[in-house]
Amino acid sequence: MAGSNAQRAADTPVLEVSRYSLSYATPSGPIHALKNIDLRVAHGQTHGLVGESGSGKSSLAWAILRYLPENAIENDGRLLLSGESLRDRTLPQILEIRGRRISMVFQDPSTSLNPAMRLGEQLSEVLIRHRGLTVQEALEESEAALARTGIAKPRDMLRRYPHEASGGEKQRVVIATAFACNPELIVFDEPTTALDIITAQQILELFNQLQDETSISALYISHDLGLVSRVADVVSVINSGEIVESGPSAEVFRTPGNDYTKALLGAVPNPKQWLGVTEPPSEAPALMSAEGITVEYGRQSLLGQLLAPKPTHLGAQEVSIEVRKGELVGLVGESGSGKSTMGKVLSGLQDFDGNVRFGDRNFARLAEIDRTYRRAVQIVFQHPDASLNPRQRVREILSRPLKLYDIVPREQRAERIAELLEQVRLPQEFANRLPHQLSGGEKQRVAIARAFAAEPELVICDEITASLDVSVQASVAELLVSLQRQTGTACLFITHDLNLVRQLAHRICVMQHGKLMDAFHRDDAEGPDRNPYTRALLKAVPPPASQAA
Amino acid sequence: MTLGYLVRRLLAVVLVLFVVTFAVFAITMILPGNAAVMILGEYGTEEAVAAMERRLGLDRPWYIQYLDWIGGILRGDLGQSLRLSLPVSDVVGDAFWNSASLAVTALASVTVIAIPLGVLAAIKRGTVADLVIGIFSYIGASMPEFVTATLLLIFLAGPALGLFPAGGFVSPGESLGGFSSHVVLPAATLGLILTAHISRQVRSEMSEVLSSDYIRAARLKGLRERRVIRRHALPNSLAPAVAVISLDIGYLLGGIIVVEEIFAWPGLGRLLIYALENRDLPVIQAITLVLATVYALSNLLSDIVIAILDPRVRYA
Repeated sequence: MAGSNAQRAADTPVLEVSRYSLSYATPSGPIHALKNIDLRVAHGQTHGLVGESGSGKSSLAWAILRYLPENAIENDGRLLLSGESLRDRTLPQILEIRGRRISMVFQDPSTSLNPAMRLGEQLSEVLIRHRGLTVQEALEESEAALARTGIAKPRDMLRRYPHEASGGEKQRVVIATAFACNPELIVFDEPTTALDIITAQQILELFNQLQDETSISALYISHDLGLVSRVADVVSVINSGEIVESGPSAEVFRTPGNDYTKALLGAVPNPKQWLGVTEPPSEAPALMSAEGITVEYGRQSLLGQLLAPKPTHLGAQEVSIEVRKGELVGLVGESGSGKSTMGKVLSGLQDFDGNVRFGDRNFARLAEIDRTYRRAVQIVFQHPDASLNPRQRVREILSRPLKLYDIVPREQRAERIAELLEQVRLPQEFANRLPHQLSGGEKQRVAIARAFAAEPELVICDEITASLDVSVQASVAELLVSLQRQTGTACLFITHDLNLVRQLAHRICVMQHGKLMDAFHRDDAEGPDRNPYTRALLKAVPPPASQAA
Repeated sequence: MTLGYLVRRLLAVVLVLFVVTFAVFAITMILPGNAAVMILGEYGTEEAVAAMERRLGLDRPWYIQYLDWIGGILRGDLGQSLRLSLPVSDVVGDAFWNSASLAVTALASVTVIAIPLGVLAAIKRGTVADLVIGIFSYIGASMPEFVTATLLLIFLAGPALGLFPAGGFVSPGESLGGFSSHVVLPAATLGLILTAHISRQVRSEMSEVLSSDYIRAARLKGLRERRVIRRHALPNSLAPAVAVISLDIGYLLGGIIVVEEIFAWPGLGRLLIYALENRDLPVIQAITLVLATVYALSNLLSDIVIAILDPRVRYA
């Protein structure tokens, strides 16, 4: 009897979603977030759910955890956890299920942990709540749980506050918390997106290791197809609330059946597919060369030094970078590596020590940077939401540089704006729009058009694709290259995405902790004389699965 | 928080108070009619005024007078009240304790009432409870003390109800019951605006914290709502509220002057008005100095409390 029961339990999927639809009531009518979803997570299986932002993938996670806003409207579809319906549970019953039978790992450990509580308390409270342990027992158990996630000194970590731990350590605490009560299902919501490349790789390895040890069932939500192909047994691709394709991951990645999946796979940056412009001849003169740039943050006033001296922090340390005419140079590094600091220095936004040589002129500090330089060197920022004035129409945004640098006579400005919009492949009517009436990709195109409006010689792109979806990223990168081809403008492309930069850049510079670690030609990326750090970065981002397979 | 930080902050407080003494002294020097004229009255002869100035030391250069005054303060001697013929330290000391009993009562009851009200409003956001608390807060915050005081006097101390005495003071050492019945109306007057202000502040901080990722994470761990609110949300929303409370102490010090006058409470406020009316310069100087000290120290105290509530705040 017991045997057949166990057999039946193993046959019943841990999670079964069938014909489930969800929409949100808004004043302007319902928004359909999920349409007729069917999804099964078998025992011990990792099910990948891949989609872009707004595809409804997070809504499904909230629905499973029964954490829906008041304006949510559900149809009569089913949500079953090991055969039991989640939908007819009362809130107290749901509170017994959350954390004990279904737990969750969140995207950003720096916001999902309470800043005012010690990590130990945040981990042990689930054990106290769901397994009725005493504080002391729970802390001992937490220590063991943390040790399993590869934390070297778990006892010490338990006593720390979140701000005293690194991003990787915090995510390990979150993962240990999710595994603490041995749940039937763990929902992973983009657990590596907010982490640095190498840390993300380690977390992924940890996931695979824990998966092997515990044979937990997981729903792994991500926008990153390449990544999902490395963790999931089965994958479902979701697009505007509908699952468009589902199957064993190897199959879906090798032979995608659906057009959307194909488009998604095609948009994943692949270093083997060169997109960039023809490389300028190696004897071409340097357009801009930064020599020994050092930036010191946290300099204090004299009084501040007397009252409370604090150590300064070097944002950049003796960094030298050269960009030739018409060249695209990639500047790669993790967060805090100083790559954005260099972007700020070169666009004249940050004081520095050292020398910036531009053409035949030299600049030794911020105060020497003048209008001519500022016109010749333009910058595009990461978040178009923050860099476009929300109260200005696209027309005003684009006319600012035209006016400021007197690019065209007043009567030709409207015509010029139309040309610029055409160059970035936006309809001319967009001139009348406000930034909030544009999508993320469209906004970034406007920001690019604004940079090119000044007819610069060098454009600095600071993580311009980082806040965009994969499919939009590809088109923005392609646009940048076509503008480069038309105008011959040089470009410094700052990014953390190695695969993307290898498609675009002629030369790549690698920064870490404010220092330039490595600089190499794209053909030498896998060469034997690469810096160990460069090699670690390259190893952490293997080329996408479809090509690897 | 290090000992070095505390020492530096205390030094800064001393520096601020030094600047305050200088400003207070300068103002009293600039005011027309010095103490000698005040004592002798308008019709004092020039000779009599000169003799009185010599006796009081007012004929000396200003910096000598200033150093003399500062030296006295450091020895605990604030001089002699010109009108009351009593040592300033005795007069101001008594008034200080009377005022402190009123201010502490007001602040304590405000804290006890305002924080739960703010938390309640945030939890019940958008409901009738939130609306009622909101309306109460707006009315409270928009009424000046003399209006509140008058309304309270009419309704609660008037002949119809007569629940509380209309004014006066009984020291808590003498009769705790007497003190309590006398302190209710002035403390309520002071407290109404503060309650409104602080509960709004707590509500907005709490709402923000409740919509944060870590509260969602706590709920998705299956924790009971009571623990989510008390352990996860409250400490994070109190730190900013404490900063506001410490700023409100500045308001309290101003409000106390009006309220003490209305309710005949023999504290610093009332004494200050009396001293101003009578040009009792040593008393004015002493009270100003005491108020500045209280304000500076309460700010330091709030920074310490914030550091305890929020582990990310580190003073070194």
